[in-house]
Amino acid sequence: MVDLVYFQLLSAALFVIGLYGVMARRSAVLIVMSIELMLNAVNINLIAAASHMDGTGKFANFDGQLIAIFIITVAAAEVGLALAIILRIYRNRSTVNVDEINLMKW
Amino acid sequence: MEWAWLIPIFSFAAAPLVVLFGKHLPGKGAPLSILAIGGGFVVFWFVLDSWLGAHAGTSGCFTSENTGLLTCDYERSWFNAGIIGDVGSVSLNWGILIDPLTIAMLGLVTFVALMVQVYSLAYMKGDPRFGWYFAVHSLFAAAMLTLVLADNFLLLYVAWELVGICSYLLIGFWHERPKAREAAKKAFIVTRIGDVGLLIGILLIWREVGSFSMLDAFEAARTGAMSEGVATASAILLFLGAMGKSAQVPFHVWLPDAMEGPTPVSALIHAATMVVAGVYLVARTFPLFEAYDADPLLVVSIVGLVTALGAATIALVATDLKRILAYSTISHLGLMMLSLGAFGYTAAIFHMMAHGFSKALLFLGAGSVLHSTESQETGEMGGLRKVMPLTAIVFSLGALSLGGIPILAGFWSKDEILVAVNDNRNVTFIVLTLFTALLSALYMGRAMFLVFWGPLKDRNSNVHDAPLAMALPMVLLGVLALGFGLISFNWPGSFGGFGTFVFFGHGEPFHFEVWLGALSIVMALAAFYAAYQIYAVKSISLDGLRSRNSGFLKIVENKYYFDEVYQWTIDRVVLVFSRFIAYFDRAIINDIIVNGPADLTRKFGIMIRVHVTGHVYTYTLAMALGSVGLGIFVWLRVV
Repeated sequence: MVDLVYFQLLSAALFVIGLYGVMARRSAVLIVMSIELMLNAVNINLIAAASHMDGTGKFANFDGQLIAIFIITVAAAEVGLALAIILRIYRNRSTVNVDEINLMKW
Repeated sequence: MEWAWLIPIFSFAAAPLVVLFGKHLPGKGAPLSILAIGGGFVVFWFVLDSWLGAHAGTSGCFTSENTGLLTCDYERSWFNAGIIGDVGSVSLNWGILIDPLTIAMLGLVTFVALMVQVYSLAYMKGDPRFGWYFAVHSLFAAAMLTLVLADNFLLLYVAWELVGICSYLLIGFWHERPKAREAAKKAFIVTRIGDVGLLIGILLIWREVGSFSMLDAFEAARTGAMSEGVATASAILLFLGAMGKSAQVPFHVWLPDAMEGPTPVSALIHAATMVVAGVYLVARTFPLFEAYDADPLLVVSIVGLVTALGAATIALVATDLKRILAYSTISHLGLMMLSLGAFGYTAAIFHMMAHGFSKALLFLGAGSVLHSTESQETGEMGGLRKVMPLTAIVFSLGALSLGGIPILAGFWSKDEILVAVNDNRNVTFIVLTLFTALLSALYMGRAMFLVFWGPLKDRNSNVHDAPLAMALPMVLLGVLALGFGLISFNWPGSFGGFGTFVFFGHGEPFHFEVWLGALSIVMALAAFYAAYQIYAVKSISLDGLRSRNSGFLKIVENKYYFDEVYQWTIDRVVLVFSRFIAYFDRAIINDIIVNGPADLTRKFGIMIRVHVTGHVYTYTLAMALGSVGLGIFVWLRVV
């Protein structure tokens, strides 16, 4: 069995790439994609941890998988919502550049 | 008699009607206004009649132990404040009080107001604010009538202030003129200074007696429930209010300036409303002044004497016809106060009425002169009796009456004042009072001869006499100025003379001090003869006298520098102090206490708003760093 730390390194790498994407990208679509990356990094982390547990915990081995499935569900809804918002913004402002979406700024 | 409240109600109702619907009413509402005050005058006779038929057993009526007068009090509850029956609860009543003083005032006010309004029909004809004039006139009369009917201090104070605001509106009636605006403000503010005293006095009485009712206050003063200190202090404070309204020194400065209003307004203010309110107040609250040692009355008489004498000297040198009459009014108000202060209650009220009729007559006559000559300067008149004989006759009647020529009203009333002063005050008072009477005859003669005698000026050759609406009130008032004195006598029949009608303590039939009467007749005749020689025939020249006393003359011509002293006080004391207050308000209250926290909040906001960049990545970075920080924190805690 592959050691847990490799999964965690992969997860951390994916998460940091996602974080970088959220911070560095200007396009709202790319930001959403980066957020997806971060979510999936978390999923990998959770599932890896769950499969490496010894099965004596209160919720046994299913905790991680359960939360991962839950996250996938929420992520699907979130992507739908985020893309819809981005679409509306594009219709209104002809751009999805988040630096130009600053109406609520002081 | 309980229907006496109808008298002011008519005029109270007329005022808003004329303001709101005046344009659609016949004659712009003036007839309605006249009808209202005329209705009041009619009701007055019913009140007088029912009072004469009343006795101590009539409902609401009793013989007052304070004044000795048959007094009728009709009181209603106005409102209760606090829990009923609780010690701290206040029950306020209002109602009307009718005694001979009230009746005398009602007669004076309704009659003079009626005459003045009829006169104004012609005098104010064509004025753009004709309807407004009559509306305020109605309100003025209504307020004054409420003032004399009030049986408690609270209602009296309300009416008192209403009189003040109406006089403000009427003095400043021609508010396009800056001088009229100034005069109106001056009248309002100067009387207001006295009103503060009145209000404090009323509150003091309320604190001591626990009631605003005048009868309760008098009762407390008589039985000793009100301590001597409070009685004296409240009397003096009430007198302060009276001084303001009745233009006593040093509050007299507003009255001459009030000449900026239309002349009929002056007639009303000087004869029936406003200035007599002060004299009325002192007469009404006389039990407070007279309680204990009657010390306040000495103050009243001294103020009255100073006013009478000072104003009489100014009247002698004034050149503006209306100002002569104004200072004459101040002088006579001083005489009334002097008389009240010398226990001459009857004399003061009698003089108030005689003076009221005469002075209204004089002002209406003066108005007639001003109306046709369009000038107020006596120097531009002269010889007018040839072109306006009726005005000349009635004006002379008023002047002779106030000058104290026998059988005219003013003679009898002035004589009673002399008797009262002679009986109750020392020799200085009677000498100065006689001197004032002499001056009074002299300046009245001067005004009369300057205006109506001597050669007619060219500019006045085509002036006309008064039209009917102006002539009729003058003639009626002239009859009263001529014959009013007759009611002072003890006529055969049931009427025992004015002294048994309005009195304080016990009624006294008319009495006559022969030497005083003779002296005053001789003085009055001499003064009028001298005035005739000086101002009509011009056989005596005053140039020598003038140049020898030029210093004193200058002081008198400048009205004893009262206005200058006030101006100096306002400029140097009041305004400097107000400037300091204004600075304090701006610098401390506004800039520091109010704007300070606001500024601080704003600056803090500007300072911290830099973190709201509007860039998603800064938020994300902060979030990431925060998460890392939080992680480190938790890790450190765990380890």
